[in-house]
Formats: sequence, C-alpha cells, structure tokens
Amino acid sequence: MTAFTFTLRQEPPQRVDLSALTPDRLAGKSLADIEKIEIGTTRASIKVGDLFKIAQGDLKTLRYEGGSSRFDLVGAKLLPGFSLHVDGDVGLQLGRLAKGGKITVAGSAGAYAASGNEGAHIEIKGDACELLAAPLAGELAGMSGGRVVVRGKAGARAGDRLRRGILIIEGDAGEDLGSRLIAGTIIALGKTAGRVGYLNKRGSLVLAKHPKLSATYLDCGPQELTFARLLARSLKADSAAAASLLSVKLRRFGGDTAVYGKGEILTPL
Amino acid sequence: MSKATLDGKAIALDDAYRQAASILSGAKFPLVAGLGADVPGARAAILLAERLRGAFDHLASRDLLADLDVKRSFGMFTTTANEARVRADVVILVGPGLTKQWPGMLERLALEQAPVHGTHAGKPRQVIWLGPDAEEAKAVPGARIIPATLEEISGVLAVWRARVGGRRVNLEAAKLELVDGLAQTLKDAKFGCFVWASAVGLDALAIEMMQALVTDLNVTTRFTGLHIGARAGAAGVTQASGWMTGFPPRTGFGRGYPEHDPWRFEASRLIDSGEADAAMWISAFDGEAPSWTRSDIPLITLAPAGAAPARGLFIEVGQPGVTHDAVLMAQETGGMTLRTATAPSDAPTVAQVIDAIMAQVSEVSPC
Repeated sequence: MTAFTFTLRQEPPQRVDLSALTPDRLAGKSLADIEKIEIGTTRASIKVGDLFKIAQGDLKTLRYEGGSSRFDLVGAKLLPGFSLHVDGDVGLQLGRLAKGGKITVAGSAGAYAASGNEGAHIEIKGDACELLAAPLAGELAGMSGGRVVVRGKAGARAGDRLRRGILIIEGDAGEDLGSRLIAGTIIALGKTAGRVGYLNKRGSLVLAKHPKLSATYLDCGPQELTFARLLARSLKADSAAAASLLSVKLRRFGGDTAVYGKGEILTPL
Repeated sequence: MSKATLDGKAIALDDAYRQAASILSGAKFPLVAGLGADVPGARAAILLAERLRGAFDHLASRDLLADLDVKRSFGMFTTTANEARVRADVVILVGPGLTKQWPGMLERLALEQAPVHGTHAGKPRQVIWLGPDAEEAKAVPGARIIPATLEEISGVLAVWRARVGGRRVNLEAAKLELVDGLAQTLKDAKFGCFVWASAVGLDALAIEMMQALVTDLNVTTRFTGLHIGARAGAAGVTQASGWMTGFPPRTGFGRGYPEHDPWRFEASRLIDSGEADAAMWISAFDGEAPSWTRSDIPLITLAPAGAAPARGLFIEVGQPGVTHDAVLMAQETGGMTLRTATAPSDAPTVAQVIDAIMAQVSEVSPC
C-alpha cells in the first residue's frame, strides 16, 4: 500500500504544530476529521486541510510532500514500527520524545531536533540547527536513546546533556559539541569548534579531526578498542564514513576531569 | 506634557493610543518586546501580550536566560550582596567589566574590609579577580589578579574545579602550582563567594561550571555566588513574568495559554522571520533601540523623550526611578524596592500608557 501523504499546498503563514499528525494519533480518524485538526500556534486559526492535500494510505508510513522551517514537532512521540518521511525542511523539535520508529528528512531541521528522543532512528539529509538532541529549556537530560544521523552540518551545542544513544554528524559541528554530555556516543566527521566535550560526565566523542582540547582532557595514548570495531560494524548501514573512522586505531583522551573524567574523546592517530 | 509622534510628525496622545490599539489588535501575532520597564510597566506589558495573544521578550533576555538556564537545569547557589559583604572571607570576581555592569559594586561589597560574622570575622578578606579589564584590575587594592580573556574563563574554571576535586589536568608544572595554590585557597575558605555578570559575555556553560565548582566546595565548606543582574530592569521583569505566567520572558500566548520557548519567542527572530506582524518596543530606561533589522513591520515605541525613532508610532514615557517613583529589583539587596524619582516630571509611566492603549483594545475577536 502507498504511504499516507500530506502534500503541502503553500508555505505556512505561521509556525504550525504537527505533533498531532503521527500514525497512532491519526488511526481511526476519517479524512474529514483529520482535515479539521487545528495546527496553528497563533490566534489565527489554521487547520490541516488549509495547509495540506491529503492522500490516504497505509498509516505505517507517513509522508510529507514538501516541508518548511515552520513545521514544528514533526514526528513527536512517534511509536516503534512506524515511519515518517519529509520531502523538505522541518522546524523545531523534530522527533521530540519519539519512542521509536524511523524519521527521514530530505532537507534541513530546525533547533532541538531529536530533543528527548527515546528510541527513534532519525536521519537528516541536510543540516541541523543548534541544540541537536538537546533538552528543552529547564529540562535535565537530552536524548535518551535511538540514533540520529545528520548528513550536513550541525549547529552549536549538538548533543547537549545526551544521556544515551548515538549521534552521527557527517559535516562540521558547531560550537561546544557534546556540552554537558551525561553518556552516549557522538561521532563527528567534520570540523569542531569551541569547547568540545565541556562538562562531559561519561560520554564518548569520536572526532575525525583533532579538536582543540582543554587542559581537562588527558592523553591516554593510542588504544586497540575491540568495542570500536563492533560499533563500526553496527554503524555501517547508517554511515560508512563513521564506520571507517571507528575501524582505525584511535587515540583516547580522558575527561572532562572538571567533572569525573569518566568520559572520552577519541581521534585517529 | 508628554508627546507622541507618527513617522516623526506630532500627533495627539488620544490619537496615538487609538492608533496603537488598532495596530496591535489588527495583528495576527503581535510582539511586546524590549520590556525595559519597572515592575508595574512589565505587568501591564505582559497583560497586554496576553490580551492580544501575542508574545513578549526582554531586551536583555540573552543575559538573564544564561543565569536562569543554569538555575533551572543544574541549580544555583546565590546570596545577596550584603551577605557577601559581612560573611565572605574569599571573594572571586569573575570576568571583565563588572564595575560597569554594577557601578555600585565595590562600594556595596566593601571588599577592603574584613568580614564581620563567623569564626573568620575580622580576618582580612582575600579577593581574587579572574580576567578583569586592564583599568579595573587596580580597583581593588590587594586583589590577586588572574589574567584571562573572556574566552579563556570557562577553561580556567574547569581547571580549578578539576584541581579542587583532586583530579589531573594537562598543565605545565609552574602553572599547575599556581592553580593548586588557588584551589587550596578556595578549599580553605570559610565562606566563599563568586561574583559574576552574564552580561559581560559569560554563557550558561561557563556559569554552570562555576556553580558546579560551588557545589563541590559545599561538601566541605560554605560557598555561594552573587550574580549581577542584566540591564533595563531585567531582574524585576523576570520576577513579574514568573508570577504572572510561570515562565521568564520569551513567552507567547498564541494558543491562549503561556508557552515558553527561548528560541521561538526571541524578539529579533520573530520580527526578522515575519512571524510577528506588529511590535510594541518598550525601552523606558534609556531608549535603547531594537536589534532587529526589518523595517516593514508596524512598530510602536515607548521610550523617553529624545529616543523617538524616525519610523512608526512613538509615545513618550518617563524614566523609572528618574521622572517617576518606580518599583525595581535592587541589586544591592536582592529584593524589590521603591526608587523615588530623582527628577520628577509629568511624563506618563509605561503602565499608564499601556493601560490607556489597553482601554482601546476590545476583547480580541478570533481572526
């Protein structure tokens, strides 16, 4: 069966909250019901039917034909077993608190993409804005599971307070990558800037380019890490470049000793 | 007598109020920004934003949110300036330009005097200044100066924290000895206090490192912090915003209830992206201009005389604590205080002007 498809009629006149448009929340609703769902975020009302032409199909896979940087909360709280594809850009909080499933975005994502992600596999073919996989203001922890692959660049503070899961950034990372890492793994293939791994508790950063390290990261020498090769194998399908980075001998820097020093930065020799 | 202008030409006040109300109630998502006002002014502005189902932001949100982000996602030890003066035996000033952020700082903290409470009363106070401005360094006689650029401060704080915890750092021997001496001073303090201002450019990460160090030190001794609030009444506005909406500035009422999002409701972004389609800019202290670049969004400016922009509607307001008595958050005491007018005039307050505009805004009908 073909995917359940939302085709964008025109650029939304305001930010729209698309958190209601996930398969589990659409299940059992008629086309007329879906068209009446309010997605506006200002006092000017905007309904699903105003913005999208709907082609009903298999709710296991949901497609947006056309995107916008004003599409907020796409795939929020997505459940395992479902998939969602956006043929365009998305706005804030892509895949926010997703429990599982697969999200692919052909364009770029706004701030807080994969925030609070608990298990979804998220691929962003373009760039991601700042605070990728980070907690929202006032929250204590960021992404807690799943896998995120950004083919382009990522903005500042990607992976802030990451708790679990894997973040792969194939392009350049913005300032302060992996700030306040709690745990989890970040792999960055491009350049890094600013305070990399600042306040890192016990997370792992694997960086293709040697970063400017603070004095609170200590050289532990080159390592033969069996685990890195196992991880490489599991990443092959998502990012061949990340897999090959993990297949070479890596030098380990332990830190941030300002915190406990149980985290690490791994770079090729 | 206060004045109003439209695109630089004088108009009657009543017309100005009517025009302002019609611009704001005709907008789909109006913005109330700047918020440089006393507490009653902030209250009126936030009520207006709620009535209009718009958003509000303060002109120094970057600075106030840097502190608040640490407070709400990590925790923060703070005290008042008076408490620091009477108890602190070790004071660490962090960053350049602190005396510019708070001109009364040195007088209030009386750093050259000894603390008067605790077992350490009467013993000379140690003052350490990390990364001061060149001229500032001399302001506190006897202070130990640790030179650092603004960018280096977060790294220095990280090294201090590592050494206070007895963990290794990658530093040459001579530097390590200096850091260890300093770490010992911090640990030996009976009542230590960090003083900082996010407005000089310290970000939430650097502040979190400093507060984490304070937390570590509190395992064995007493340590706390004193933050210098941001400009244009930010601290008082944040309090008012908190008790009215549950959130700090950068909050919107678009859906009829308050939603806080520091990214979505950042004033300049809302205007430059066209998401907000009308704006009220309030800057009653000094007439600071907005930082957005777009000039085609209808604009209503509430500022003191002489700060009228060439474009849009301008309504003159008085300066809080100068032309009229004002309730403001006081840096000296860390509480609300009434500042009596130093040069009273009949210029209206922000609250009076907004109330007059609000009287012309009928209950907003749905678009």
